[in-house]
Amino acid sequence: MSDVIEIRPLTRVEGHGIVRLYLDGKRAERVELALIEPPRLFEALLLGKRFDEVPEIICRICSLCSTVHRVTSLLAVENALGIEVSPETRLYRELIVYGGQIQSHALHLFCLALPDYYNAAGFADLAAKTPDLLKLGLRIKSVGNLIQETVGGRLIHPVNIIPGGMGKRVSRPDLLKLQGALEDVLPAAVETHNLFASFAAPTRPLPRHSFLAVQGETAASLFGDRLDSSRGRSVAVTNYREALPENVIAHSHAKQSRFEGEEVIVGALARLNLGMKLPPMADKAFIDSRVKLIGVDIWGNNLAQAVELIMTVECALETVTNLLNKGAGPVGPAAVTPRKGSGSAATEAPRGVLIHSYDFDSRGYCTAADIITPTAINQEAMERDLLALAREMESADDAELRHLLEMLVRAYDPCISCAVHLVRL
Amino acid sequence: MTGPAIAIAGLTACSGCQLTLFNCEEELPLVADRFHFAHFPMGISEAEECGPLDAAVVEGCVSTPEDLETLINLRNRSRLLIAVGTCAIWGGIAAMKNNESRKELAETIYGEAAHALRTFVPGPLHRFVTVDFTVTGCPPEKGEILATLSALLHGTLPVFPGYPVCTECRNRENLCLLIERNELCLGPLIQSGCNARCPAVSIKCEGCRGPASEANAAAEMELLLEKGFSRDEIVGRMRRFYPEWDHERRY
Repeated sequence: MSDVIEIRPLTRVEGHGIVRLYLDGKRAERVELALIEPPRLFEALLLGKRFDEVPEIICRICSLCSTVHRVTSLLAVENALGIEVSPETRLYRELIVYGGQIQSHALHLFCLALPDYYNAAGFADLAAKTPDLLKLGLRIKSVGNLIQETVGGRLIHPVNIIPGGMGKRVSRPDLLKLQGALEDVLPAAVETHNLFASFAAPTRPLPRHSFLAVQGETAASLFGDRLDSSRGRSVAVTNYREALPENVIAHSHAKQSRFEGEEVIVGALARLNLGMKLPPMADKAFIDSRVKLIGVDIWGNNLAQAVELIMTVECALETVTNLLNKGAGPVGPAAVTPRKGSGSAATEAPRGVLIHSYDFDSRGYCTAADIITPTAINQEAMERDLLALAREMESADDAELRHLLEMLVRAYDPCISCAVHLVRL
Repeated sequence: MTGPAIAIAGLTACSGCQLTLFNCEEELPLVADRFHFAHFPMGISEAEECGPLDAAVVEGCVSTPEDLETLINLRNRSRLLIAVGTCAIWGGIAAMKNNESRKELAETIYGEAAHALRTFVPGPLHRFVTVDFTVTGCPPEKGEILATLSALLHGTLPVFPGYPVCTECRNRENLCLLIERNELCLGPLIQSGCNARCPAVSIKCEGCRGPASEANAAAEMELLLEKGFSRDEIVGRMRRFYPEWDHERRY
């Protein structure tokens, strides 16, 4: 006979998930992380859609990372159809991806994760207990959203970035406004790092996992053409299918992905462990917090996101300055001649490695779509950590155990809408 | 945490409508102060499983037995049920291929394992329960969410305009993408309130807010056919957020 502890629903995460812990007496026997988000069957929805419709539809997978889904989709479509974009267009895409990461990390750190450190049930409690901290986070978040709205025309499901270029360039006064807002918020990002650096890990160390991230010699941070693992393996993004096969599992609507047969962690912690290029202030924070970040378990992920908040603010600032200095270069959109082709692209979403891949027929209509999301990759490591934590906490009472299990899931910052419905055709 | 008791829940959706509330960065602390969140899994861990609610704000369409269970629970408990976002009101993006077999769509993705999915054809909330108020959009506009919450505090509901996107678009003096650039713009049919965001950056209206109250679908169809678009392409575009257009409808 076994007892089951069920956490249903998982709260303060995006989407619908359940954790079930099966107990034999006091001993934790196994854990199931069920991502029960209702399947929206996105890949099937994309079949038969023209190439320019694909990014518009697919960004609806998830609101928290709609921008990076849209950009990754554009890159894959452009790779498939051989579309070149101007350097300005590339800069705008980098900028909006930084904006998306600022908003996503700030939402996760302040609205979803921080309440755990203040014995609060959520942002509403936090607003009563430490109003200034919540406001600090929301101020950072609003700058990420200002970028997304200015560049994308809308802050969720952005519309202004399209195959070959943009609908409309961002005006100089708007760029100056972004520059001012980013400069203002940089100290707040540093403060966020100091705050999260002051928190101790809630348990003894959990098992360590390998890390995986998108890398590229010449590309901007968060972009690249290779998948590198902390075991020293490196695979070109175009060969991702061999390296990251997916499996259907019985208790979850998301498929699991392993990298070269090994469970891996993706996300902010993985990026920092794999030596992502950091601008000066982020690098200083990273060096200060090095021992809490390098080779650690997932409890380090919140702090890693805080370091990345500084990074993305600095990167966005540099990109805006570049755009201001460059003057008004062309942003297209370039004329597109449909052709038969396949293309894939990988980008670092806030939660980690995101891959989009499409096939098009000679008229430019989609014949196959494949998307691998960070939460699907993290799923297996999450389950293993949940089990390790449950075993570690055998003497804990039920409420404490539930609280820590949920906190652990939150440390991964899962995005369950993304993980479900995105599976190979 | 006093004030009206509200629930905020997501069904089959992307969480974008709930995120829109979090995106009201300036107003969020005030909202936290004025409402009692009885059930809001994405934002708050403590939930009340039962007990009366003043308003339940529901995002997403209904496509699983669990969605229906959540919806009926909230409907039973709440004085007002507010459908937020295009999925909840019109079916939205998940419903665009409702004319095809759900089983086959699922099999395309999950293969043999598809039979284990407990899912049915996605539908809007009003197909299952009475809906008292709607805030449309994919995503909804922050201003309309805040207007709704403010009105609730005063025991009323806001009135949103029923005219189409074109009205706002002409007010902004945007180039007309439909007439002047011959693009497949759905502005004449679609509910306004977005201040013509997309045409303002030279992107045609994709119809994300659903039909305006007197959408003249037949005339738009004729116009687009005249411009050389195929019927399939027009119908495919119109279905993206609302699969049940009456293409013969005239006003």
